[in-house]
Amino acid sequence: MTDAPATTPPESPPPAPAPRPHPRSVGRVEAPAARDLAAIARGEIREAMVHAEVGKEEPVVEVDAFSLFYGGYQALHDVSMRIPRGKITALIGPSGCGKTTLLRSVNRLNDLIDGVRTTGDMRLNGDSIYGRDVDVIELRKRMGMVFQKSNPFPMSIYENVVYALRIDGQRDRRVLDEVCERSLRAAALWDEVKDRLHESALSMSGGQQQRLCIARAVAAEPEVLLMDEPCSALDPIATQKIEELVESLVPHYSVLIVTHNMQQAARASDYTAYMVLGRLIEYGPTQSIFQNPKLPETEDYITGRFG
Amino acid sequence: MADQTFTGWVRRRTTSARVKVADAAARVLITTAGLATIVAVAGMCVFLVAIAAPLFLPGKVSAARSLAPQLAEDAAAPVHVALDEHRTIGFACFGDGEVVVFDSETGDPIDRRRLFDEPPTAWSFVPGGDLAIFAFADGTVRHGTLGFTAEFVEPSEIEPEFRTLEVGASRRGDGGVVQRTASGSFRIQRFAAALSEPAKISEKPVRLVDLSMLTTGPVLVAVDDERTLHVKSVTVIRNMMTRRETLRVSGGSIELPPTIGGGSLPVHCLLEGRADSALLVWADGRALRIDTRDRSEPALAERLDLLPEGGGTITAVSFMIGKTTLLVGDADGAVDAWFRVRPSEQSELAALVDGTRLVRAHRLEGAAGVAVRSLAASNRTRMAAAGFADGSARLYSVTNDRLLATCPPQDGWHQAITALSISPKDDGLLTASADGCALWQVDVPHPQTTVGSIFGKVWYEGYERPEHVWQSSSGTDEFEPKFGLVPLLFGSIKATLYAMLFGTPLAILAAIYTSEYLHPRTRARVKPAIEVMASLPSVVLGFLAALVFAPLVERVVPALLASFFVIPFAVLVAAHAWQFLPTARATRLAGWRVPLGLLAAAAGLAAAFAGGPAIERWCFGGDIMGWLAWKPDGEPSPFASPFGGWLLLLLPFSTVGSWWLVARASSGRMRTAISRMDRPQAAAAQLAKFLAGSALSLGVAAGLAAALSALGFDPRGGVVDTYVQRNALIVGFLMGFAIIPIIYTIAEDALSSVPEHLRSASLGLGATPWQTAVRIIVPTAMSGIFSAVMVGLGRAVGETMIVLMAAGNTPILEWNIFNGFRTLSANIAVELPEAVPHSTEYRMLFLAGLSLFMLTFLVNTFAEWVRQRFRKRAFAL
Repeated sequence: MTDAPATTPPESPPPAPAPRPHPRSVGRVEAPAARDLAAIARGEIREAMVHAEVGKEEPVVEVDAFSLFYGGYQALHDVSMRIPRGKITALIGPSGCGKTTLLRSVNRLNDLIDGVRTTGDMRLNGDSIYGRDVDVIELRKRMGMVFQKSNPFPMSIYENVVYALRIDGQRDRRVLDEVCERSLRAAALWDEVKDRLHESALSMSGGQQQRLCIARAVAAEPEVLLMDEPCSALDPIATQKIEELVESLVPHYSVLIVTHNMQQAARASDYTAYMVLGRLIEYGPTQSIFQNPKLPETEDYITGRFG
Repeated sequence: MADQTFTGWVRRRTTSARVKVADAAARVLITTAGLATIVAVAGMCVFLVAIAAPLFLPGKVSAARSLAPQLAEDAAAPVHVALDEHRTIGFACFGDGEVVVFDSETGDPIDRRRLFDEPPTAWSFVPGGDLAIFAFADGTVRHGTLGFTAEFVEPSEIEPEFRTLEVGASRRGDGGVVQRTASGSFRIQRFAAALSEPAKISEKPVRLVDLSMLTTGPVLVAVDDERTLHVKSVTVIRNMMTRRETLRVSGGSIELPPTIGGGSLPVHCLLEGRADSALLVWADGRALRIDTRDRSEPALAERLDLLPEGGGTITAVSFMIGKTTLLVGDADGAVDAWFRVRPSEQSELAALVDGTRLVRAHRLEGAAGVAVRSLAASNRTRMAAAGFADGSARLYSVTNDRLLATCPPQDGWHQAITALSISPKDDGLLTASADGCALWQVDVPHPQTTVGSIFGKVWYEGYERPEHVWQSSSGTDEFEPKFGLVPLLFGSIKATLYAMLFGTPLAILAAIYTSEYLHPRTRARVKPAIEVMASLPSVVLGFLAALVFAPLVERVVPALLASFFVIPFAVLVAAHAWQFLPTARATRLAGWRVPLGLLAAAAGLAAAFAGGPAIERWCFGGDIMGWLAWKPDGEPSPFASPFGGWLLLLLPFSTVGSWWLVARASSGRMRTAISRMDRPQAAAAQLAKFLAGSALSLGVAAGLAAALSALGFDPRGGVVDTYVQRNALIVGFLMGFAIIPIIYTIAEDALSSVPEHLRSASLGLGATPWQTAVRIIVPTAMSGIFSAVMVGLGRAVGETMIVLMAAGNTPILEWNIFNGFRTLSANIAVELPEAVPHSTEYRMLFLAGLSLFMLTFLVNTFAEWVRQRFRKRAFAL
């Protein structure tokens, strides 16, 4: 159950970020972001700027000095962050910054890729994700994932929604029907499809398919819902629907969402993490990230000067 | 200029001539090649059809040439006529022993001679040759040949008057007919009669006589005035000194019972080709069959009625070639064909004197109400001709009850046809009546083949009932060719089915394993390795199958059968045992699962082989070969119980049934309970469930087997029966092996091309790789997998060398997995070298090829249709 009592051992709040001179106080330098990025690319260690508010939230997923290598290429550099429970956390950053990799690392889908190696660990409600003894299958049963491109299975709408129950061997028709209806209602899809539950899911529109995928993830009762740019292939109206839907899922669910769309992150998330080149740069409440970022790189990015 | 453009070069806005020419040339070339390919493939089909089509053409019999209006001086009708094989000369034999030889071109008499001083009292002309026998009032018989001789003369030695002859033309002269042959020399055909010295066989005048020539010498039967049937062997003794030949006659006789025919004499007496049965026929249809196997003691074998419908009169009787099939013509114009069959029922067999009985197998379409007056058989095929009282004649193919042609009487002729003859090459029909002779041109190259006789059941000579048979040739001319394609079609289907049954699951599981479980880098090595299997020549596989595998399997049949069940059982037990490991350790040892599974499979195989003899002892009376071959014979036998066979046959079904039952019966509560247990407990519960299910399936199978055995059903005679070393099981294994790479490659491609995001979605929801494969990947890739199976099927249907070498090539129609078969393709390979071009057999082989083509065409069309449906389901991915 998602709402299991927080058995997480109480973590000490993360150490306050080391005071460093704010660029703005020194005055605008020529293309500061570019300069800092170059520094990052050179491998100079930069402490992430994590706002204090994050530390006050109870975490659902904790990322602990996590690095990931694709063969010789390091895609994630020593990322540490706490994803708060019952909140929407957005991951933003330029293409190739490792947002999606980080997201997929949470439910270990990256395991499937050839030559992937990781260091560090993650914890889901206190349970190790990358421990040697972890059964990946059971781990994934605790998470839901929504992908960039809607990917309904080539079967009926109904079977798509109850897939997680099917693989768990649930055959009680009443349970299936109820979960199906609740999940579709949660995904604001029930009224549109209730008369054609047994038609192919592939006959739906793109936005409906994506909401179906959310319903499918919701039906699995995940402890955390991972969303990988769920609206990138949708038109603005469908996007709006999905955003409303995601907002309606909290605080019942914890959501980690990757997005390219700055407005979306600003509109729809509680916390925002900004990543560049596989590193976490700044992480804090959405409002302060967007209105009062502490780092100039972040500001450049969110104001559109870079990225 | 360059500065004015962005990239610094100026693009010409016209297409250069060179590009245009290349484009045009490519278009012409590609169009031509494409059309040529289509034309070539269509042409192959047209060619096959063109070769096979004449089989179904009716053939033609062209109008007669009337010859010699009056051959006999006293307007008598001939009793026998014959033509030579080139249709240049003929003779007619009359009842008084006179022979008139004539030129069959013009009908002019060449020679006229009396064979005997005294007119014979009885005669018989043996069908299928020149043999004849004559009997006389003094109780003697003379046998010999009445036929033609050919003499070849060089052009330099021929009389000058013949030198102007065209090639193929003939002219009367030199005591016969001279014909110029295609090679330029001359052939003189002359009549020749060679009759033996008289041999005395009876004290009384002989009224009926017949003769059969065996390798040991002639055997004859004769009926004399006193209703005594004489059966005699004739031995020729040559005096070494004088070189004179004398005949020694030995044998016995039998008095005909007075109860039959009201004391009258029979009207026909016939001796079968092997001289082991003689037939006496009275005009009212009653007949006696005499067993003459022992010449010195003939015995009554059978009384029968050749007109079972009652009434009527028998007006003509004759054997066909081989003297086995009897043609009977009656006054109502009907022509029937009878032959002896050996009943397969023991009870029927016991009631028969010589184990056979005469049955009516064919009814030919006669001239209604006009009496049949004469019958003649072809010298080489199953064609027969009947002459009718109104002067008409009909030509038949007896095998398939087919009327080939009707020959009306010549203008102004009304006399009955008293004798007729089919020319030796089946290209002419000579009819003779008191009005004269008429020669018909016959061109029916394939009398025996109709759609009905090729694809339907046909009652062949000596068979108990109509059957599907393929047997195109034999050692003797008397053989009736049997062109039924059904056994070959069946063989192709049987081979395909057993190969698919073995190959498809393995190939698809292998494809699932490599695409869903194997590390991509390993997969990149494994896949080409399996594809190399496809390049193994099938002749090598066939060779291995026939010479290595077949003898090996023969020794371990029980173990092999058992291993089908024991190996999966062992693997499943191992899988259940694995669950006892604590989660942490199980995760850490995950890499050992495949080797351990293989170990379990090997252990299962070892157990099956160790238990093989025990299974053989318990289920098959200690010897499975004996058990399979056992036929009920009333004797107590350890093989009598069909229990073991039923058990093995029912086990797969009871397993599926029990599995389904256990799955249904395990309620949600039980599953919830199991999911609440800790791991070892849950594992124990699952193992208990599995073992209970296994025991249930075994128990159900045993119970059903016992019930079926008690009810007297026996699986033998169905899918299991007598074991033959080269059988469908062997072909199934080896041909399965041949089609695995094909199915594997295409299925693996289909599975791998399922979009990765579906796999991620399923795995992301916590499905195991197996659940993902079965629920998502396989259904999505179904159209591709189906194509793979169909391509494999196409290969299996057309596969030749493996079945040729390992299937035994017996064209029989039975599902028995332990017996062989002959496929269409193997049949073509075996028989084409022997088939005479354009003969019926040759064309039948092309028809077999066409059938094979149609079979694969239908399979592929159906496959494509199904594939499109699957694809529609999985569109937009």
